[in-house]
Amino acid sequence: MALLQISEPGQSTKPHEHRFAIGIDLGTTNSLVATVRSGKADTLADEQGEHILPSIVQYTEDSIVVGKAAKANQVSDTQNTISSVKRLMGRGIKDLKILGDSLPYEFAETDSAVPRIKTVAGDKSAVEVSADILKVLKARGEQTLGDELEGAVITVPAYFDDAQRQATKDAATLAGINVLRLLNEPTAAAVAYGLDSGSEGIVAVYDLGGGTFDISIMQLRQGVFEVLSTGGDSALGGDDFDHAVAEWILKEAAVDANALTPQVRRLVLREACAAKENLSESAESEISIQLDDNNRWNGILSRDIFNSLIDPLIKKTLMSCKRALRDAEVEKDQVMDVVMVGGSTRTLRVRERVGEFFEATPKVDIDPDRVVAIGAAIQANALAGNDPDGNLLLMDVLPLSLGIETMGGLAEKIIHRNTPIPVSRAQDFTTYKDGQTAMSIHIVQGERELVDDCRSLARFELRGFPPHVAGAARIRVSFQVDADGLLSVSAREETSGVEASVEVKPSYGLQDAEIEAMLKASMEFAGNDKDARSLREQQVEADRVLEAIDSAMADDADEMLNESEKALILKARNELEAMRHQATDAQQLKISMKNLEKVSEEYVARRMNASVLKTMAGHKVEEFNKDE
Amino acid sequence: MTDSIFSQNYFEMFSIDVATEVDLQQLNQKNRELQQQVHPDRFANGTEAEKREAMQKTSLINQAYNTLKNPVSRLQYMLDLNGVDMNAETDTSMDGAFLMEQMELREVIADVRSQDDPLATLERIASELKQKMTALIAEFDGEFKQGAFDQGRNIVRKLQFINKAQHEVNELTEQLEDEIL
Repeated sequence: MALLQISEPGQSTKPHEHRFAIGIDLGTTNSLVATVRSGKADTLADEQGEHILPSIVQYTEDSIVVGKAAKANQVSDTQNTISSVKRLMGRGIKDLKILGDSLPYEFAETDSAVPRIKTVAGDKSAVEVSADILKVLKARGEQTLGDELEGAVITVPAYFDDAQRQATKDAATLAGINVLRLLNEPTAAAVAYGLDSGSEGIVAVYDLGGGTFDISIMQLRQGVFEVLSTGGDSALGGDDFDHAVAEWILKEAAVDANALTPQVRRLVLREACAAKENLSESAESEISIQLDDNNRWNGILSRDIFNSLIDPLIKKTLMSCKRALRDAEVEKDQVMDVVMVGGSTRTLRVRERVGEFFEATPKVDIDPDRVVAIGAAIQANALAGNDPDGNLLLMDVLPLSLGIETMGGLAEKIIHRNTPIPVSRAQDFTTYKDGQTAMSIHIVQGERELVDDCRSLARFELRGFPPHVAGAARIRVSFQVDADGLLSVSAREETSGVEASVEVKPSYGLQDAEIEAMLKASMEFAGNDKDARSLREQQVEADRVLEAIDSAMADDADEMLNESEKALILKARNELEAMRHQATDAQQLKISMKNLEKVSEEYVARRMNASVLKTMAGHKVEEFNKDE
Repeated sequence: MTDSIFSQNYFEMFSIDVATEVDLQQLNQKNRELQQQVHPDRFANGTEAEKREAMQKTSLINQAYNTLKNPVSRLQYMLDLNGVDMNAETDTSMDGAFLMEQMELREVIADVRSQDDPLATLERIASELKQKMTALIAEFDGEFKQGAFDQGRNIVRKLQFINKAQHEVNELTEQLEDEIL
């Protein structure tokens, strides 16, 4: 959540004649950086002349290797070489089970909601890995431009939820980048095409990358890019084509995937990917793989077989297209242009099926790998104040509905998907018992009816509003979504005008304190002093736990706990407090926290049940229908 | 001009007359003009205060735009401007025949899966709902012009029912389409 703003140290506010700004496409498979020079937007190359930076990071004991060099070591150093980390952005431990099979890493046991990958250089969160990629791109930009950067526009899939967007912004913060705007990838692509062609009308942007699929329906008019609707799948992309081919190979070779080492599995995947790419040129592709010491498999993948393997996946994307058209209230024949984005649109079958669906020839003029970065650079240039005409304006929409949990685990939508952003909405709540001064609200994002089927974003604890008799307080909770699509929440008791304090507990994102700690650590110690850093992180965590238990017990310990239960919790609490000041390593502190957590488990469960009742009490059904 | 949007009503913000029908093209056009002036992207280099103001103004314009664009919320807002509170718990008696009709419709929707061609049935219902909506909006227009706001409120209530049914039909259509896949 964007409640706590971390300001950039040394951020320049001096006026420049020309402000240098870059556009970054932080992709699942590849990343790029672009900028506008002499009025022309183009991607930047590294010293070897390579524009594409594979989004792969290898951690060794004393260095961080990013890009092609890391990719080369992927097979030999599987566990320390991290790829497709974008899939983990803003994801929680629970999500790993869904993504799990395709991830060959070992995850650290952790109390945090954010999964961390075990490497020889310590446990790494997706945010940290992404930051390491961003640092390389930023350095490339600075080197090429020879000046300090004003800031960057970073692209995200239009389908990214709040947690995923926040994680991306956090990664930029860690990399020392001033984020001018988070921009939807398809919007960026339309920007890239818009300037070249100056066209007006409805455009569909079909973006099939390595790990994500997005469809956006946009209207272009008079320099304004208006997103009418977005849809897609944040876990579908060209990687899935590779997996489908790999599965076919293993089936043909009659090999059990589970019997293979991670190295060989990677090798099969790599061969599958090569065969796929080859099929864009030739009618069939020969495959030869050394499965183990005395087993080499040879086979031929024809276009027909390949097409039958990926057709179900393409069909899924077309279903999303249909839905996006309906959301935009646009008929297929109104779509003027279909813009193809992402390396996976090089696959001929994709172009064919998309062309059939929209009854139009898809646009592929600009390199589908670079088009997003180029659009981001154009937007960055405009935001930095270098756009002389000042006409470029992007009006964006909320990609997924925001809702709150109500009675019975149902999600009530507060702001519907495809609502133009920025947007704010207020919702009134009242208290259900006399003297109540706090309540908690669970925010979810998604289209499904059950809270369990939506993404949990955060729990907000509202505290400090004056006591009233039950039902008399009127707590107006304001939800504000900014132009980056990020949510913040504020609350106010209307009858007295008292601002309630809002405490955010992101369900999957990093805590603001965690980010702060990481930022501090990365600046002060440049990643050296891991022990001190993790101790500091645990101290911050311990403070949070102590504060949480104290305020909870002050609230309702008397009514929810008997004396012996209370004593047990208090004992663990006091131990933790002592440890908070004495502990010299993170592990000691962790054990104390675990202990407190264990003895208060039942109490937490009771409170959770009560808080759901509390949140909804006195709330009228009609209030939810305001915007219908 | 945009400084004062906080004190304007939604119709004033978009320089259009308070009326049952609005010219969507004009609304869109004006929306773009306003956004060009106040959107946060115009203040990416501004102070924190300027950025916040831009966000608040744009949020308000978006809220106004959405309210006016959708006929049901637009009509409700017109009543609101005339001091009619839709949520007030006054006499809420509704047209019995209308309610019966709605309940029957709900039953058809709930039972649609057992039909031979559920998608076709849903499509038929969707087009009937659309017709009904158009008729009710016309009816509202007559009442509103005569200052019969209570009648207007009853019509908006009916429209809310229809809106809800439309949502249900849409969602069910999506579900069924997904299943066919």
